[in-house]
Amino acid sequence: MADALERITNLVALLLETRAPLTLERIANELRGQYPSGDAALRGAFERDKAMLREIGVPIEHEVLSGADAGKTAYRIDRRRYELADLDLSADETHALQMAVAAARLSEGDMGLLKLGADGPVSTTVVANVPDDPMLPALREAAALRAEADFVYRGLRRTLQPYSVLLRDGAWYAIGHDLGHGTVRTYRVDRIEGAVTTGEPGAFERPVGFDVRAAFPADPKLLGDEPSQRAVVRIDVARARWVEARVGEQAVVQRHDDGAIDVEVPCANLDAFRSWLFGLGEHAEVVSPPEVRAAVVAWLREMAGAR
Amino acid sequence: MTVRRGPRPTVERLRRLLVMLPWLMERGEAPLDEMAQRFGLTEEQLVKDIELVSMCGLPPYLDELIDVWIDEGVVSTGIPRVFTKPLRLTAPEGFALLAAARVAMQLPGADGEGALARALEKLAAALGDVVVVEQPQAPATEDVTAAAADNARLRISYWSATDEAPSEREITPRRVFLDRGRWYVIADDHRSGEDRTFRIDRIESWERTGVVDEPRHVEAPDSEGWFEHADLPVVRLELLPAAGWVIERYPTRSIAQRGDFTEVELTVTDPSWLQELLLRLGPTARVLEPAQWQGLGAQAAAALLARYDTGGSDAN
Repeated sequence: MADALERITNLVALLLETRAPLTLERIANELRGQYPSGDAALRGAFERDKAMLREIGVPIEHEVLSGADAGKTAYRIDRRRYELADLDLSADETHALQMAVAAARLSEGDMGLLKLGADGPVSTTVVANVPDDPMLPALREAAALRAEADFVYRGLRRTLQPYSVLLRDGAWYAIGHDLGHGTVRTYRVDRIEGAVTTGEPGAFERPVGFDVRAAFPADPKLLGDEPSQRAVVRIDVARARWVEARVGEQAVVQRHDDGAIDVEVPCANLDAFRSWLFGLGEHAEVVSPPEVRAAVVAWLREMAGAR
Repeated sequence: MTVRRGPRPTVERLRRLLVMLPWLMERGEAPLDEMAQRFGLTEEQLVKDIELVSMCGLPPYLDELIDVWIDEGVVSTGIPRVFTKPLRLTAPEGFALLAAARVAMQLPGADGEGALARALEKLAAALGDVVVVEQPQAPATEDVTAAAADNARLRISYWSATDEAPSEREITPRRVFLDRGRWYVIADDHRSGEDRTFRIDRIESWERTGVVDEPRHVEAPDSEGWFEHADLPVVRLELLPAAGWVIERYPTRSIAQRGDFTEVELTVTDPSWLQELLLRLGPTARVLEPAQWQGLGAQAAAALLARYDTGGSDAN
């Protein structure tokens, strides 16, 4: 019997070149001596070959025949769907993509580059550790094809019409219209449990002008039940310049003679607000509103008492 | 691309074949060694694959075979047949290319209208434009990266959360990297005489000293491996579920579930970092080991409380 690679290469060639879809009997007949004999062994080997082809992205079409072979399944590969669409990349564009893949170190990028005709490996001075997640390709494709995505999140099954995948603060998110909740929702991709299954393409419309950044505020201090909640924080002279450079001049509500500044920042999400505040150590103090100041003091008292 | 030795799974050989054949058919011929290197194979592996594929083709496998042969170290092809175009991008390949390009657009030195931007536009048009990457740069990132490329020594002021004032030091940046959304630089720290990793967003001011040091290659750490320097202390924390974000945010040395609690071990590059982390975690975390850090969170909280209790603010 032939080498498995030889057989499967011949199978791809046969299914690419055939004019009419072929039944398994015909395939076995054409690839004579390459498949094991006996119905069960033949079927098993063919299913393994099909699974391997699916794994590497070879699109196999199948249809159920009528007429003389009624009820039998026949197979072919549609060359238009098999072949790489010509991206028409210039040499410098291909090189730029090589540099990008080298910097982001996403493992599947190398094979993609080979398909696009890029040459050997390159190295970069800057490296980005981008989290990779097996769910991401399916979610991205679902968003691009406008197909619904089903997955389990925090123990519940969700159906999402994904609009976008977003990398923010070192984590990937899927954003879209959640059918169960009837609103736009954001899910952290690395917390999706199990697999993502996707439905038919073109199942929904992406709202015109949908803006990920507006749907999912970048500042975690804005995420909360009352997005308008704000707090005034006094920053002493040692950190005033640094904080002002980050929150912006318009956030400074008062300047003190000793160089300290009062800044107004969002605090809809108290956890995120505390993280930001305590990152400044002893150089920051909540001035108002009183309930936020009280919550911070209570938090510190509980900690200080836990000696 | 790394060359692996030993037996290769059929699926990997097939994936490469479906890319190699169209590439070869477009050129007609290629030196064996160059072709092997390009596709991440040893010459022996490539010879084996070419020999095998020269027996493949269409039934009855007599004249309609894939027309390839090797002669005097050159791989050649005759009439292009069957495998004339590469297989389309798979979903993982498409994702990796788009995501890498989007990330690279946010890296220091990226040209918003250059070759990468044009490549990205073509990719997005073909695959769908749904990947968004937000990776703001700390102000110093661009200059620190340029200094790393030039081996230029910088004078910086750098602070950690508990330092009273930023420390002044001279560093020679070697490697800039992004991890979990934050920018870091590995540099020669001329104050301690050692390699140190600095958070770039905590570099408050920076300037070139005019000194240029000898080039030195420093490997960029991967997401899991960095911080795992044996000479750094380790803290063991007990976390409530609400503190679970710590596990996603920082590289952990070990994780164990104990009922409702999670026990994690983290490398501590700087005790002030741990102190800040404990403040943020508050009652949702407790130091188990080492003993000298068990009171660290409470001390930090007491120090902060002093500021509130003395009425440091006039507005309460």
